[in-house]
Amino acid sequence: MSEEVKSYVELKNINKYYGDYHASRNVSFGIEKGKLVALLGPSGSGKTTILRMIAGLENPDDGEIIIDGQVVNDIHASKRGIGFVFQNYALFRYMTVYENIAFGLRVQKWDNAKIDARVKELVSLIGLDGLDKRYPSQLSGGQRQRVAFARALAPNPHLLLLDEPFAAIDAKVRQELRSWLKSMIEKLGITSIFVTHDQDEAVEVADEIIITNQGRVEQKGTPVEIYRDPQTSFTAQFFGQTFFVENYHDFKSFDTVEGTTNAILRPEFLKLTKKNEEKKYTVTIAEGIVQSVDFRGSNFEITVKYKDNIFIAKRTLDEPPVEVGEEVDIFVYRLLVLDGDKVHLLKNRALNEESVVI
Amino acid sequence: MTEKNESKYVKYLLITISVIFLFFFLVLPLFVVVTEAFKKGVDQYLQAVTDEYTVKAALLTIEATFFAVFINTIFGVFAAWSITKFRFKGKKILTTLIDLPVTVSPIIAGLIYVLTFGRQSILYPLLEKYDIKVVFAVPGIVLATIFVTFPFVSRELIPVLESQGTDEEEAAALMGANGRTIFWKVTFPHIKWAFLYGVVLCATRAMGEFGAVSVLSGHLRGKTNTLPLHVEILFNEFQYMPAFAVSSVLVVMAIILLIIRSVIEYKGKKEEE
Repeated sequence: MSEEVKSYVELKNINKYYGDYHASRNVSFGIEKGKLVALLGPSGSGKTTILRMIAGLENPDDGEIIIDGQVVNDIHASKRGIGFVFQNYALFRYMTVYENIAFGLRVQKWDNAKIDARVKELVSLIGLDGLDKRYPSQLSGGQRQRVAFARALAPNPHLLLLDEPFAAIDAKVRQELRSWLKSMIEKLGITSIFVTHDQDEAVEVADEIIITNQGRVEQKGTPVEIYRDPQTSFTAQFFGQTFFVENYHDFKSFDTVEGTTNAILRPEFLKLTKKNEEKKYTVTIAEGIVQSVDFRGSNFEITVKYKDNIFIAKRTLDEPPVEVGEEVDIFVYRLLVLDGDKVHLLKNRALNEESVVI
Repeated sequence: MTEKNESKYVKYLLITISVIFLFFFLVLPLFVVVTEAFKKGVDQYLQAVTDEYTVKAALLTIEATFFAVFINTIFGVFAAWSITKFRFKGKKILTTLIDLPVTVSPIIAGLIYVLTFGRQSILYPLLEKYDIKVVFAVPGIVLATIFVTFPFVSRELIPVLESQGTDEEEAAALMGANGRTIFWKVTFPHIKWAFLYGVVLCATRAMGEFGAVSVLSGHLRGKTNTLPLHVEILFNEFQYMPAFAVSSVLVVMAIILLIIRSVIEYKGKKEEE
């Protein structure tokens, strides 16, 4: 139970209904102090509901929300010490940047000198010096987001919640803003949770990812853990580029899991070689026909047909090119076997055997 | 003929039709009102306008308009606020009910109040006991005016509030602001112009209300006569010149409100940019 002690934010068996719709199903997880955590899931998976319940904008029908050791279910949103960045920022459009940031402080009746000092500090932290007299409509999307961030931080919250913080920004600025936000949160050391449907964003920004699906938490872990060791079939398919294979028994030299036939592969689980290329593992090779070759900037993405399955593999620009219609050899390093809701990672036995032979 | 030319012809054709239409249905009648009013000279006009009963009718009109605008403004803001900012059962029904006065004929509105507060009503003994007169008295006129003009403020506010969403209010509430601060600092600046516009529309409509008021008023000259009713009485007594003179007063009041309305619209648009 040492893990529970360390959790700064904890949800215990949270259930939430909207009418007949079960938006959160037995959601439980803990977040350590100082961590930057992503709630990742497709739309309708209940991630925003979770965030809004932590903030106190919604109330769970069942279960406990604990922040810093205190059950906050009955504590009003404004008393939870939370900063919230809304999806569309929800900046007060009839107030200047300065007044937006000062709003929370004025409500808390800070004295004017302190407000002024705090607002100026934040304006310069977000790099908008000289723009504090502007209205939100006179700012770019990225600048608005920074203001929303500063406004949420102004009253010194212990926990920062961000709802799809990058969704409303165009792709170019988004990249820049992600790293800005990550470094800013690291610098301040504030525990933060953000909601996103974009896995690249989650991988890039978060220390830890919580994957949600149909109101449930599927898996929680670091991006590497989730990628390497998905525990549910949903996580396996949602995270990273995947494709589906029927009858994985066709690839010899894999152990079989009782009662399973289907598996998931990722492009990096495969090695594709031309007939005349040198091969490391000769034992268990399948033959496929190249369907298409697509240039992806740093590599080629090759679609191969094997029996009734379509595979996707990568080849570098240095390797000899393959052509559509060419017969190629496929070697499978690893498989994610689907066993109902669960997933088993299988390694090709040849990897061990051949290394012994050589 | 090229397509561009064609669209040019269409443009001028439509403009011409609109102008002719407006001329016959609006400008010409207004012109007639004014010329008829001044037919017997300025002195006669002033005499008709400052006639004791006319002045009393004007005061009653202003009184009814004031109450209607005041009450409907408060009600309109509450209704618009509750409809757009909260989720509750029967919201659709409430929205539809608010629109009812616009769709129902004013004469029916008048009859409804006669039946509710008149002699045959079950409320009548109670009203009589406390000596409250509604039908054929000033309260009836005020009630009828309120009924007829009641959607105007809320109708203007609902779309604006709806397009704004609840994010900003939520953000403010999350920072600990109370309802009053949220309304005055966050919501009101946003609806200010729509609000004023609704108030002016409401006033315009209240001033000219005839049907419902006519049923409830009893046409007691100097007591329960509003300006539109006064015009009718004068007209029925074949006093054409005074009838037109009083009408012209109403027209002037309407024009003033229209100008205020345009100014509000202009300012609101400018601020949005």
